[in-house]
Amino acid sequence: MGIVQTIDLEKTYQDNGVPVHALRGINLTIEKGEFTVIAGPSGSGKTTLLNLIGALDKPTKGRVLLEDTDISGLKRDALGELRLHKIGFVFQAYNLIPVLSAMENIEFTMMLSGIAEKERHRRVREVMQELGIEALAGKRPNEMSGGQQQRVAVARAIVNNPTLVLADEPTANLDTDTGAELLNLMETMNREHNITFIFSSHDPQVIERARRLLILKDGMIAEERS
Amino acid sequence: MLFTLAWRNIWRNYRRSVLVLLSVVIGLIAIILYDSLSIGMIQQMLDNQIGAHVSHIQVHKKGFNDNPVIQNYLPDPARVRQLLAQQKGVAHFSERVITFGIVSSATGASGVSMVGIYPQQEVQITKIKNSLVEGRYLGDAPHEIVIGRKLAEKLDVGLGDKVVAMASALSGAIGSDVFRVVGIYETFSSEFDKSHAYVYLPNLQQMLEFESQISEFAVILGNLERQNEVQAALVQELGSGYEVLTYKQLLPLLVMQVDVYKETIFIFYAIIGIAMMFGIINTMLMSVFERIHEFGVLMAVGMKNRRLFVMILLEAFLLGISGTVIGAVIGYLIYLPLADSGINLSAFADGLNSIGSGSVIYPILTPESIVSAIFVIPAIAVLGAIYPALRAARLDPITAIRHV
Repeated sequence: MGIVQTIDLEKTYQDNGVPVHALRGINLTIEKGEFTVIAGPSGSGKTTLLNLIGALDKPTKGRVLLEDTDISGLKRDALGELRLHKIGFVFQAYNLIPVLSAMENIEFTMMLSGIAEKERHRRVREVMQELGIEALAGKRPNEMSGGQQQRVAVARAIVNNPTLVLADEPTANLDTDTGAELLNLMETMNREHNITFIFSSHDPQVIERARRLLILKDGMIAEERS
Repeated sequence: MLFTLAWRNIWRNYRRSVLVLLSVVIGLIAIILYDSLSIGMIQQMLDNQIGAHVSHIQVHKKGFNDNPVIQNYLPDPARVRQLLAQQKGVAHFSERVITFGIVSSATGASGVSMVGIYPQQEVQITKIKNSLVEGRYLGDAPHEIVIGRKLAEKLDVGLGDKVVAMASALSGAIGSDVFRVVGIYETFSSEFDKSHAYVYLPNLQQMLEFESQISEFAVILGNLERQNEVQAALVQELGSGYEVLTYKQLLPLLVMQVDVYKETIFIFYAIIGIAMMFGIINTMLMSVFERIHEFGVLMAVGMKNRRLFVMILLEAFLLGISGTVIGAVIGYLIYLPLADSGINLSAFADGLNSIGSGSVIYPILTPESIVSAIFVIPAIAVLGAIYPALRAARLDPITAIRHV
């Protein structure tokens, strides 16, 4: 049994009264320590799948199991709690909190978890050092480049020791070199700390690094490569 | 960190927050000045009434207050005198003979309340001596009268002029006497000045065919807070043939005015509060709508809706408390010199004199006013933020993240 399992997962949206079948029966198991990329053309359902695994959305049919817990039927607060403790997010647009410094942004999820300030600071320093972003500690997002912001976002995603990190098009707003550096960093985290990463991307350099590649087409897994 | 986040969020849109802050500051200054001015005016009306004639406590024969005829004289003034001299809490007292009569001069006549006093006793009770604008205070001598400026103008008399006073004597006959004007006073109230004339008590007793009868004792207490205690002690000692009334019972209209004021200040608070609340609702709603995407991210990384709700309330509270502190400091700095010099409202002198407050009002800022304002304004700010905070807390994370 993997850390994530989806069983007959379906998601249907209503677009001006017209049903749109974003996912049509996805069965998937993700094991601990995987570095998985979900690829596919626009509208294939990559982000929808990531949102369902990330407890941000609820399926129309089927189930999502996270560490054997069915999260499909959980209530808002429980889903929030789950995201806080078990899932780290890296977004395409970085999505750091603009009024907080890099250090405070990284610290934020630990503050929500109720971790004491001293311990928070210790862990933030540790992660920043590991990602080579100590110099950014006091900078606010508007004082950082896109690559720097995304590194801080990665630090925010992993600092709370999540079960898995979901990265939605993390390199889409970065140039090739910066994107490669970021992926190197995430690979290192995956290798050295056994952190599970699931990407949604159609960036070739992300796909190249996938140890497991799932290609979605019309809401279904069309192809799987390891 | 939630506090830091809320505080920094306030200043993301500097201009908008400053405008809201300004509205809170101006509202608070308005409350402080209006409140202190009103309390000052009412307190002056009360002090003037007490200092001009009413005193803290009056002792009469039962029924005198409702029917102040000369026949309602005190049954045993010697006993009252002795009791007051021994009663703890009584600082001074003055004996009075009071009657309604007519004072006339060569050119006119006017109905007045004639008050017979022992000048040296009365000087401890009322401010008539200090209010003299011409001449001198009464001496222990007959046929002298001190009148108000308005009455002097009406009768067209000045210092040294003679006036004739007439009043119904105890026997029912008309008692009269001739008095020489030795002093003219001017108080806070033109009405009072027109209607009160002071003469030497034995002189008035003689005119009214009294022997040693006294109409009332006016009492000043050392500590006003003990008035109920002193009143109760006097009532118990004197029994049912007497009435012992505090200034609150003697000035029911003024006391009612104080009560009404206490109600109206809340209406004033409410008006300012509602205006402020709409400003805050508007600001917080704009602030929430601008940050929907960010709220989505916050919820995605694990912030619970409840915490988001609290964060927005905290932003409003910080805005409110900042405005309150700034407004309270500025309001107090404006108040201080005004409390010292008073606010000259002589442009409205006629109206103010007729209600007995005087035309220079000294504002009084009570701790209650400050405390109310300090609690009310931030509470209003928080109330105003509830709806925007609810809107934010009800957001669906996935919809919020997609919001551009």
